[in-house]
Amino acid sequence: MQRVNRGAKLVSAVVLSGAVLLAAETRKEFHFTVGARPTVSVTNQYGSVSVKPSAANLVSVTAILRSDKVEIDKGQSGNRIDVLSHLLDGANAENGRVDYELVVPGDASVILTSTSGPLRAEGLHGDVTLEGANSNVDVREIKDAHVHVKTLNGPITLTNIHDGHVEITSVSGNVTLVSVSGPHVQVNSNSGWIHYDGDFGYGGEYYLSSHTGDIDATAPQDASFDVTARSVRGKVENDFPLQPKHTPFVVKAGSAFAGTMNRAASSVKLFSFSGKIHLKKR
Amino acid sequence: MSCAEFQQVLPEMLEGDRNTEHAAHLASCSACSDLISDLKAISEAARQLRASDEPSPRLWNSLEIALRQEGLIRQPQREPALVSSRARWPWGWMVPAVAALLVGFGIMKYERGSNQPSETARNEAPVAAAPTVAVVPASTSPAPRISRDDDLQLLEAVGTRSPEIRAQYAADLNHVNSYIEDAEQSAQSDPNDEDAQQSLLNAYDQRAMLYQMALDRSLP
Repeated sequence: MQRVNRGAKLVSAVVLSGAVLLAAETRKEFHFTVGARPTVSVTNQYGSVSVKPSAANLVSVTAILRSDKVEIDKGQSGNRIDVLSHLLDGANAENGRVDYELVVPGDASVILTSTSGPLRAEGLHGDVTLEGANSNVDVREIKDAHVHVKTLNGPITLTNIHDGHVEITSVSGNVTLVSVSGPHVQVNSNSGWIHYDGDFGYGGEYYLSSHTGDIDATAPQDASFDVTARSVRGKVENDFPLQPKHTPFVVKAGSAFAGTMNRAASSVKLFSFSGKIHLKKR
Repeated sequence: MSCAEFQQVLPEMLEGDRNTEHAAHLASCSACSDLISDLKAISEAARQLRASDEPSPRLWNSLEIALRQEGLIRQPQREPALVSSRARWPWGWMVPAVAALLVGFGIMKYERGSNQPSETARNEAPVAAAPTVAVVPASTSPAPRISRDDDLQLLEAVGTRSPEIRAQYAADLNHVNSYIEDAEQSAQSDPNDEDAQQSLLNAYDQRAMLYQMALDRSLP
């Protein structure tokens, strides 16, 4: 009987604390009318930011504030919208958290910044700039735009990015690129690995580099590229029947390879100091 | 009193014209009190700059860190335009002047240094004489390439705002510095190695990113 009472008290306490948390949460909505190609910037210390497209010339911001230790500064200056989570005294990662969901015109340029909250942008054809120290970054369905991502440790995933000017820098976050193509695709990693799975497009430049992280690139048999791959202290592997080509460095079996595949439409450069490099055939 | 109102009266505040309303806002708003501290640090650094014809690299670094802490030399798109920059920080006109001074001193030091043979050049004369694209930062550069002082200052700044992420930044700095060392060695052993030179730029990009994120005022 005593055990039952203790259980009931525990459940009550959990329900009560949940209710208190829910009560402290605040939902806020803001709407801004904008013109063509607006710029939307969100700076959030803790919490997620997610951006989706809409057909209307309207920027809608829905924010869930975890407590009154954080407030939202917002402003519109012409065609530019700025949203900023403003931490107040006593705020921390829990009570200073704000989760944002934005709906923006498809041609909007978005700039999202966070320390630890996940950042997500999808379905846009305006420029996308995402920066987060530990943020998990997910960008998908972007066309004909610049995609710039920077993280220290957060993993980065890009999916279905076409005709993109892609630049990624991360110290130890893993980078995954799936169906990413464009005139310029560059990944600068340190200890995080880089996975590329796509066809290297047509006529683009692809440069994937790391310090110690492994680099895997997977492409179909009919992909058309010119590749040089080199690892100073690591190993390299290649599954493609490449045609030999001249290189500015000495090609040592097992640590470098170079060659062309089909019509060599795109240029692919894979470089690491001590990471393993593997060019795989799908 | 709001932050915007407070920042409009910053010049008077810094000159000592402080009333109870200002003091109350300062006591309750860490952002504005940090801003005041940063401005005082910059003002102090500027005084040192005036007093010396040739500031040491250490001063250059401390100024750079102070400017970064203030958010004045981060990427422009990161700057939220909630209020006009003049209203937010009326001393903005000083920034180009300080930046021009810094660049001027940097060029002076670089030119003076490049006329003198460096340690590396003396030891490896044939390599230094080889034609190469001057992408590798010269060893005579005014600022040290890997400065433990810089890193300690950075970690100190991070630690005061958020002690729990200090260790993480320390680990990241080690990664980046290790990358720089490897790329430098590689570039020095073969100055024509474009991959090594590009890697060195990449490594420095990472370092710049790390510093920018660590010192960004908008982040904890």
